[in-house]
Amino acid sequence: MNISMIFRPGTRLLAAAVLAGMVILLAQCKKDPPSTVITACDLTDIPYSPTPYTIIKPDDFPQIFIPADNPMTKEGVQLGRRLFYDPILSGDSTMSCSGCHLPQGSFTDNKAVSTGIDGIAGRRSAMSLLNIAYATNGLFWDGRVKTLEEQALKPVEDPIEMHATWPQVVEKLKKHPVYPELFRKAFGISSCESITKELAAKAIAQFERILISSGTSKFDQFNKGVAEFEDEELRGKLMFFDEGQSSGLPDAQCFHCHGGITMTGNNFFNNGLDSVGKLTDFPDKGLGEVTGKDSDCGKFRTPTLRNIALTAPYMHDGRFNTLEEVMAQYNDNGFGLSNEDIFVQQIGFPITNDGVVHYSGLTPSQTKDIIAFLHTLTDTVFINNPDIQNPFQ
Amino acid sequence: MILRTLALLLLSFTFMTACKDNDEPVNRDNFTVTFKVLYDGQPLEKYVNYPYGDKYIMFDKFNTYLSDLTLLKGAEEVKLSDIEWVDFTPDFAPDDKAVAVSYKYTVPDGDYTGVKIGYGVRPDLNAKKPADFPVGHPLYLENEYWSGWKSYIFTKIQGEFDVDGDNSTDTNIFYHCGSDAVYNTATMDRDIRVSGNGSLEIEFDLKKLFTFNGQLLDLTVPANQVTSHDASNIALGQKIMSNFKNATLLQ
Repeated sequence: MNISMIFRPGTRLLAAAVLAGMVILLAQCKKDPPSTVITACDLTDIPYSPTPYTIIKPDDFPQIFIPADNPMTKEGVQLGRRLFYDPILSGDSTMSCSGCHLPQGSFTDNKAVSTGIDGIAGRRSAMSLLNIAYATNGLFWDGRVKTLEEQALKPVEDPIEMHATWPQVVEKLKKHPVYPELFRKAFGISSCESITKELAAKAIAQFERILISSGTSKFDQFNKGVAEFEDEELRGKLMFFDEGQSSGLPDAQCFHCHGGITMTGNNFFNNGLDSVGKLTDFPDKGLGEVTGKDSDCGKFRTPTLRNIALTAPYMHDGRFNTLEEVMAQYNDNGFGLSNEDIFVQQIGFPITNDGVVHYSGLTPSQTKDIIAFLHTLTDTVFINNPDIQNPFQ
Repeated sequence: MILRTLALLLLSFTFMTACKDNDEPVNRDNFTVTFKVLYDGQPLEKYVNYPYGDKYIMFDKFNTYLSDLTLLKGAEEVKLSDIEWVDFTPDFAPDDKAVAVSYKYTVPDGDYTGVKIGYGVRPDLNAKKPADFPVGHPLYLENEYWSGWKSYIFTKIQGEFDVDGDNSTDTNIFYHCGSDAVYNTATMDRDIRVSGNGSLEIEFDLKKLFTFNGQLLDLTVPANQVTSHDASNIALGQKIMSNFKNATLLQ
């Protein structure tokens, strides 16, 4: 049937015009449906089928807390690893997270304090990220953030670190030839416009959660009964864990702060580094800056002693270059400040003088034994693990 | 016809009441236990010098494990939990006052007559280690486990003592007590009514903890100032742990 068969000749022109109008309108509708915009940013053609990632940890290590809103996936870890090593996160694209956290330094930079993209030195030393998944009691030296997801956001915008802004970084990620696809695979986003700083931080956190000891250090092998300690290592262990009294060895009190299989409880202590007139006089107040409490001034998060031989220099400000210097400091038994951890003041044998007990510190030989023990915590399998190396090399 | 209608109505009513019962929220976590720490009847504050005889004492840490917290009703027992860790002096507390720690439990209505508490970690749990427990479990805490003794540290009490009586604390004291040998339990009478909800306050008074037969532990004696994890001074650990029941107040 043809249109001329339905309409009278007088109305044919009008009908044709109406039909043409409808066709145009329909065509316009088809061209611009609001819910199906197809742009270069569309990622929906890329399959999203994340694979659960099981973190490998030694049997005697505790389970790892995984936040419900950031489950571990292979794709998330892969993205996080790439972001961690990619200088795209810094203001001038010259510095990545790994600029301060290198595998060979057990994810420190082996510098007293780290220097950012503008050449400005920070005031604190980069902390080791080994077993950072277990640090659920506050991160950074001063505990100012609670989660790895929060932590990963901070250095990017810190003017003395990576000195970028997240909006800038997110724009770079959106326009990048690879990242949109990786974000899609990790988090199922439909468009590169959905890339956010929060997703980037989640991915980095996933990668950081796999930075777990291999369980193959000499200490671990000794615990499993498959390696023997040298005499000095054994004496050092006994003093470290206050187990040497029956062997005539003093308590070194180390394990009170560096306890547990991860060699840190991630608690905060004033470990007797500085003598100040009043607690608020600490040049770096540490936890006190976060809580605002005088009694928290001079307290810092306890770092892990695993791989401690690889993470020099030591302390929050990198003031000591060697473990010998660290031990010499502890052997002085602190300064007796009111918030100083009491175990810092009790290293060595007790000496009673006028009813007051003081402590002798360790002898040079005992100090050497402790350091020998600390070297048994070195985990070269971890630092050489191919899964945590720079993917750009 | 009338009978059939009545039967249908009855059936409908039965279904409706059944539905109502199922939809009502189950009354869970209806019983709150709040733990507090005192010194001589007053809420404890860290870094404050408290009179101790003619001398002074100061505390900066106190936490403890409690096993098998149980309500008693005659011979009947309602266990509230296998294990709790109560940290009165956590990092990030808003100030130096010891915090009150509350836990909620599900307890059937009734008139209870007493409370049973295990001070420390009961032996079968103490035979395990942090890796054996899930994240968030009280026994997951690595810092509260001492590998040397293969034991949890049942309680940590730390502070300083003023040996010369000049109101300036000058000697460290610490009592880290652990191992099966120091675990003990106590039963205390207390009338507790649970009707829908209920609550109980359990207070630990540190002055009472250091009081034995009416006498304060002589902290000028070095052997009384420290109990670490060394077997040579386990006696002091046992003495402290067994005195917990005398330092416990039920409110």
